[in-house]
Amino acid sequence: MLTRERENAVPSQSRALRRLFLMLFLRGRSARQLRVAKMPKSIAALLRTSLVVYAFIGVTSLGFGGATIFTLAVYLHAMTFILVGLFVAAAAGEVLFNAEEADILLHRPVNAGALLRAKIFVLLQVSILMAVAFNVLGIGVGVWGQHGSWRFLPAHLLSLTIMALFCAGAIVLTYQLCLRWFGRERLDGLMTTMQVAVSIFLVLGSQLLPQVMARTGNSLGTLVLPWWVRLLPPAWFAGFDDVLTGGGRAESWLLAVIGVVATALILWLAFAKLAGDYERGLQQVGERSARAPRARRRWLDRAVAVPPLSWWLREPASRASFLLTAAYLGRDRDMKLRVYPAVSPMLVWPVLFLLPSRHGGAAAFPVAFAGVYMGLIPLMVLKLVRYSQNWQAADVFHMVPLAGPGELCHGARRAVLLLITAPMLLLFALLVVALRHDLANVALLLPGLIAIPIYAIVPCLGGRSVPCSAPPNSMESSRRGMTMMLVMLLSAVWGGIAIAGWKFGFFGWLVFAQAIVVAVVYAMMRASVARAAWPAETAIG
Amino acid sequence: MAPAVDVISVQQLSKRYGEQLAVDQLSFAVPAGQIVGFLGPNGAGKSTTLKMLTGMIAPTSGSATVAGFDLVTHPIEVKRRVGFVPESGAVFESLTGLEYLEMIAALYGIPHGGAVERIKQFIAFFDLSFETLTDKLLGAYSKGMRRKVVITAALLHNPPVVFFDEPLDGLDANAAVGFKALIQTLAREGKTIVYSSHILDVVERVCDRVIIIDQGKLLLDGAPEALVAAHGSGTLERLFTELTGGAELERRAEDFAKTFRS
Repeated sequence: MLTRERENAVPSQSRALRRLFLMLFLRGRSARQLRVAKMPKSIAALLRTSLVVYAFIGVTSLGFGGATIFTLAVYLHAMTFILVGLFVAAAAGEVLFNAEEADILLHRPVNAGALLRAKIFVLLQVSILMAVAFNVLGIGVGVWGQHGSWRFLPAHLLSLTIMALFCAGAIVLTYQLCLRWFGRERLDGLMTTMQVAVSIFLVLGSQLLPQVMARTGNSLGTLVLPWWVRLLPPAWFAGFDDVLTGGGRAESWLLAVIGVVATALILWLAFAKLAGDYERGLQQVGERSARAPRARRRWLDRAVAVPPLSWWLREPASRASFLLTAAYLGRDRDMKLRVYPAVSPMLVWPVLFLLPSRHGGAAAFPVAFAGVYMGLIPLMVLKLVRYSQNWQAADVFHMVPLAGPGELCHGARRAVLLLITAPMLLLFALLVVALRHDLANVALLLPGLIAIPIYAIVPCLGGRSVPCSAPPNSMESSRRGMTMMLVMLLSAVWGGIAIAGWKFGFFGWLVFAQAIVVAVVYAMMRASVARAAWPAETAIG
Repeated sequence: MAPAVDVISVQQLSKRYGEQLAVDQLSFAVPAGQIVGFLGPNGAGKSTTLKMLTGMIAPTSGSATVAGFDLVTHPIEVKRRVGFVPESGAVFESLTGLEYLEMIAALYGIPHGGAVERIKQFIAFFDLSFETLTDKLLGAYSKGMRRKVVITAALLHNPPVVFFDEPLDGLDANAAVGFKALIQTLAREGKTIVYSSHILDVVERVCDRVIIIDQGKLLLDGAPEALVAAHGSGTLERLFTELTGGAELERRAEDFAKTFRS
């Protein structure tokens, strides 16, 4: 009886949309590498590894055992704000304005507000899960710490939810304001610039904040927060925690009220006042742009035709792949959002190590560590340039008479080396000189520099770095986090060996031996890449 | 006999992209039960017009009513009454065929039981198996199978007006024949059909009337045989190439072939 009623019930449109966007998030928008039997059934299942990584990063909150509830909450909200903000900023462009989706949904009787709410609902589900994973240990500290209270648990969960709403609303509002003020012609470029800038800001913030906090106080637990922290959203939501946990001072009340009012205002603006702009934006996504964006690659086209680049890019396939990679690194929003925020911390960490700390510290180790760490830039970037929303276009590589993907991988590798790695290394060398006032220290960068060819060719093994050949993968960010951790460990070990060589007088021999080993290993890897067949996952089918 | 009511009425409809005028003051009307071939060369403004008439994009100026509702003031009511097969044939690839069609049915408020019944009728018509629909992701379907799902999704809610943009793209010969019979049956049932295609002999055989546009402007409007006779062209294809500069392309093709000989 109940089944028959269910069969005849008029389905809820909003539920259908929420279900649709949840499925699209869980499975991705492309099905080429998807196996039905292995499809994740929930967000938690999909993000399992990421959630473990976020919970692991949350270990840092254990240092706040002696802190007041307000100080602990400011830290937790600041870090969560960055985590959630980064996710929403990166996902929003693709989720909110998907060109292909227009052909499927825009002629159905669905209003833009319903679409927007369903999309944000899924983004919020993911954001809250990520936030809770990061905050698990912090909540423990808030309950059992020196100033703890059991009320911190419900208070913090509630404030996390409000903060996630604030983040999502703020991003949606920013898009809508861009649409209203600048129109479709400039929207794409603006969205790209804004997303990249926000992402880099958030990534840098996540690296810088703990360092700044550690450098301004005597210890994390007794930290006295500077006045300007109270102007930032994390302090508002921390005030909320403070009030609900019971120790609320008048200042906390004020901050909590600001947080609630700001969230309500942003949600009203984003989902009620400016919802019409979203509808217009959706329609415009399906339209052709009036002016094609100006291609700014002419100088590179000319440069690859003359020495020395023409010598380096002798093979036509390698040259084509080089130009393709360069074009996407410079123009494609999706690619830029993936690559530059991922690369930015690689510059920040070494620089932070170079800054004089209140503990003093060894002068040479940070340079050696940073040199090796910087050498890993091409490894990271090459892992990312293979992902693109236009991955199906890479089928053309299978149609042209190429025995394998080797030359395409080399083209991408060379583009990453020339356009990203070389400028970053140069900048870093200048920073070493500027911050250390010692040219001798620059020599400690050598072990890292010599290792670059190896790091750059590792992602090419098995022909796996063909540019724009794989669909974007939502799991990639958590894997990237783990790779970064491994990379830091390896860099520390290698940096230590270099310092030992420097201290005990065999640095020159160490560098010489390393150069020989690198040359041999590089030659072997190159031969392996040349023999590589097309990876099974990129085969057309 | 009462005069036929216009189900689609377009007046001075225009669409501008920046400085480019994609559709230029287009006006026409289509009565119930008519199959209209909507023709034009690449970039003529056909897809833009269809997207405007289905509420996907907003017109820059002019007005249109579809199934009695104004496109600008009542877009949701229009969308409830139209079915659209877009040229792109886009689907959510990571859904199974059944998940996709059930989702579409839910958006139109069709109860689950009724939706599954209709889906079964369509898959029987298109010779698809229910197992394929439940077990395989749309990304794994052939182009023709995907097109059949898109056509089903356009007709699932039994709309009185249907717009087809290159619907035969990817269909095999049998499916194409079946599809042509289907749209003629739908028209006899009283549905209004706008059919945009580059396959002119199919248009000539299936459509009661053709509208030819170029550079966003209306060039010709009338019954295919009447238009062909009036211009003395022999076939619709010949008439079309004469109107839209296709004859020039034949000469250019000859020049192009010469580059391979040299």
